[in-house]
Amino acid sequence: MQAQIRGSDAFSYLAVTLEPGESVIAESDAMSSMAADLDLQARMNGGLIAGLLRKYLAGESLFVSVFKNNTPAARSMTLVQPTPGGIRALDLHNDTFYLQPGAYLASTEGIKLGLGFAGFVSWIAGEGLFRTVVSGSGTVWYGAYGALLDKQVDGEYIVDSSHLVAYEPGIKLKLQLAGGLFSSFFGGEGLVTRVTGRGRIVVQTRSLTGLTGWINPKLR
Amino acid sequence: MKIEFTHQPGNTAATLQLAQGERCTTESGAMIAMSGGLDIETTTHKRGKGGLLKAAKRLLGGESFFLNHFSARQGAGEVVLGTALAGDMMAYRVDGDALMVQAGSFVACEEGVEIDTSWQGFKNLLSGESLFWLKLSGRGQVVLSAFGAIYPIEVDGEHIVDTGHIVAFQESLDFSLTKAGKSWLHSMLGGEGLVCKFKGRGTVWCQSHNPGSFGLSLRPTLKRRK
Repeated sequence: MQAQIRGSDAFSYLAVTLEPGESVIAESDAMSSMAADLDLQARMNGGLIAGLLRKYLAGESLFVSVFKNNTPAARSMTLVQPTPGGIRALDLHNDTFYLQPGAYLASTEGIKLGLGFAGFVSWIAGEGLFRTVVSGSGTVWYGAYGALLDKQVDGEYIVDSSHLVAYEPGIKLKLQLAGGLFSSFFGGEGLVTRVTGRGRIVVQTRSLTGLTGWINPKLR
Repeated sequence: MKIEFTHQPGNTAATLQLAQGERCTTESGAMIAMSGGLDIETTTHKRGKGGLLKAAKRLLGGESFFLNHFSARQGAGEVVLGTALAGDMMAYRVDGDALMVQAGSFVACEEGVEIDTSWQGFKNLLSGESLFWLKLSGRGQVVLSAFGAIYPIEVDGEHIVDTGHIVAFQESLDFSLTKAGKSWLHSMLGGEGLVCKFKGRGTVWCQSHNPGSFGLSLRPTLKRRK
């Protein structure tokens, strides 16, 4: 399989070429174009219970789509997330990675998609009560709204709510005010997420709630 | 008419240079700036052909597609065009062939290009997305815009494109609304729903992002309309 992230940082999309017999798993509605003779199978995402939980609690869909090339030649397709922004590829070798609700885009067959309880702190911080847990060996692609920033955390780091996209298992989330009471509520930062531990975190430069928060007062 | 694109792909603007005597037609909301000496005329259809009846028909059909016609009668001038959604633009030259354009992607064209809004395309078929299509024919340059990046797909055989990702396609292609893969059930469950299948030889231009999907992702936190 060949996968290429194209379209610049602002409008990344994933171009995938599947060799005969190969398949790729993608989030529901992620396919933007494909060779007409690729097979699509909707698969319950980790069983009914896990799928339902993922749908209602993690903001992901009940089904994922499996695209398989049953033809004798290479076939191509494109995948994209709903928001304009960056896409990252992550290779896992028998390890685990956490994705925030909505971040999952696609994965290879060796990757297991699960649901993990992220804790009430994550929920209050606007990061969701649950998170998508990807594990196994293979490649995962995830997308965001805006560009993606990486940060290697060792100790403590602070991220504004609803900007966290993904993090390694060594990271824990804690909630706190951005500054004192005054600057937290009048400085527009409100609640932030304090991430502690050791590992990599990925942050998106924009947030959907930031955009809707800007639009809402203007709507009548 | 000369076309120049700047600030691609994030904040693309198209500057159209009109020589004296030249005219161009643009989508009604696209003009950002223009030379002072240009004349503007607004119609609901092709210049000179926008009959009242046709306009009424279009309003009844729920379409509010107005066109602005810029003419450089007194001397050369320029029109700068932009779109509401962030993304790239492209130019195409219609030369006796026809180009089917998703109406939201139409930005501008030269005078020699015919705009047919009566083309029904996918309309008679059940589609959750109320896309409205333009058929551009005749001769001249066309400017199109997209939500996100634009990439061409050279179809030779059969290819599927999600309806929300189509910018334009050549008339030489046959198309049908159908399912992705072999099974309707799986296409629906997989969230793909109805997609467009192109057959034959020709080019489809796709936009990397789907405006409808982006809109829906805003819905949970957007205030309810009163």
